Amino acid sequence: MEIDRTDGRTANQLRPLACSRNVLYRAHGSASWSQGDTKVLAAVYGPKAGTKKNENPEKASIEVIWKPKTGQIGKVEKEYEMLLRRTLQSICVLTINPNTTTSVIVQVVNDDGALLPCAINAACAALVDAGIPLKNLAVAICCCVAESGYVILDPTKHEEEKMKAFVHLVFPNSVKAVLPEESLCVNSEPWEHGILTSVTRGVMSVDDYLYCLERGRAAAAKLSDFLRRSLLSELLSDSTKAA
Amino acid sequence: MEEKPSISTQSFIDQLVVPGDVVLDLSTMNNQTIKLGGGLRQDCDAISVTKAGKFRFSRPNKYWVESSQKRYVPCVEDHVLGIVVDCKADNFLVDIKGPTLGLLPVLAFEGVIRRNIPRFETGTLLYVRIVKANAVMNPELSCMDASGKAAEFGPLKEGYMFETSTGLSRMLLSSPTCPLLEALGKKLSFEIAVGLNGRVWVNAASPSTVILVANAIMNSESLSGVQQKIMVEKLLQKIH
Repeated sequence: MEIDRTDGRTANQLRPLACSRNVLYRAHGSASWSQGDTKVLAAVYGPKAGTKKNENPEKASIEVIWKPKTGQIGKVEKEYEMLLRRTLQSICVLTINPNTTTSVIVQVVNDDGALLPCAINAACAALVDAGIPLKNLAVAICCCVAESGYVILDPTKHEEEKMKAFVHLVFPNSVKAVLPEESLCVNSEPWEHGILTSVTRGVMSVDDYLYCLERGRAAAAKLSDFLRRSLLSELLSDSTKAA
Repeated sequence: MEEKPSISTQSFIDQLVVPGDVVLDLSTMNNQTIKLGGGLRQDCDAISVTKAGKFRFSRPNKYWVESSQKRYVPCVEDHVLGIVVDCKADNFLVDIKGPTLGLLPVLAFEGVIRRNIPRFETGTLLYVRIVKANAVMNPELSCMDASGKAAEFGPLKEGYMFETSTGLSRMLLSSPTCPLLEALGKKLSFEIAVGLNGRVWVNAASPSTVILVANAIMNSESLSGVQQKIMVEKLLQKIH
């Protein structure tokens, strides 16, 4: 049973994406990412010498600070910080700069649904801007399940509140490789289908979850293309001018 | 006869790559020694990219990813500008915009013995050479060149220091001389020291020359050679 979305999108359609890098002067890397009206600004400082007491000094450590748009910092923000930290730890190469700390500061500029995926995308772009070594990029997407079992992608805040359950999914980006396709597969599934992070809220059946995964993967491929183009667009304009 | 790597997909050389792209397959390249520079990582038989940038190759066997950042990754034999942060008994702690502080041994100056070791205040700007750099230790610096001569290393007095990206420093140090410095050098006389870590020091007789040179360099971040010349001409016209 179809649901009409207020902004006229189809179930699989994402909101307009915009990404700009190097927006902050003092930060070592920065990026702003917006999906429709949801906008997040991420800044990266580092790597700086020294780790905290509980951290393993043989690896680089990542510290995340989440700043909400209004209000004081509470449990919700701490949870976002923990999720973002775990995701970023899985994409960074932590053995290259041991005993250093990289700080990622995320500032919510506007929240109109799908806030955590937007923040993950912004943080990933900021890490690339700062030159932190990464194993691959992360693309994040939000899928919602309605009461009727209907699945939509990239909800606005209004749509999110009406849904039965939603899941935030983070996938690695699609890579270009010189290797033949088979060697990049793990158990006969392509590399891009691996999940980095999955956070669910609400109640959904296993079938619904697997269906969300499929839809999410298709959208992640589009996001991945967009990310690649926007990351390289500045470099492209430099190289064409220099030539 | 050069044997091209037998890949059916395109070669990545001189292409823009993002982290995660696999650019070389070692199983197809047998009996070769290759050198990997910055931005690349080895994962069993696949060489994958860790930084976004342009994938470069230089004969006979060097591969690296060229990118421009605000922070610096210390490499051996680089000439950088450091700022003294602290003085210890045996070393000066010097900030070179990298992940860790550099250590400059107190005796690493020409003609220095225990009795007349130099004393620098916190905040002194030094032009130094990196002697040892690896990921785990603090980089070791020196104010002498490989043969033990002073060769213009040491503290830089007066002048003005500003920070740029590492890509711009590499462009300023490229040979033949970059068009920007050539055009400026024809009309103005100034001294300049460029550190590969993104710091540039300029000194001239009058402050207006210093400001002009500094502004010209900071504006040329993304300009091509011809555009740099045009920009410099416009700037020089304004002061005459």
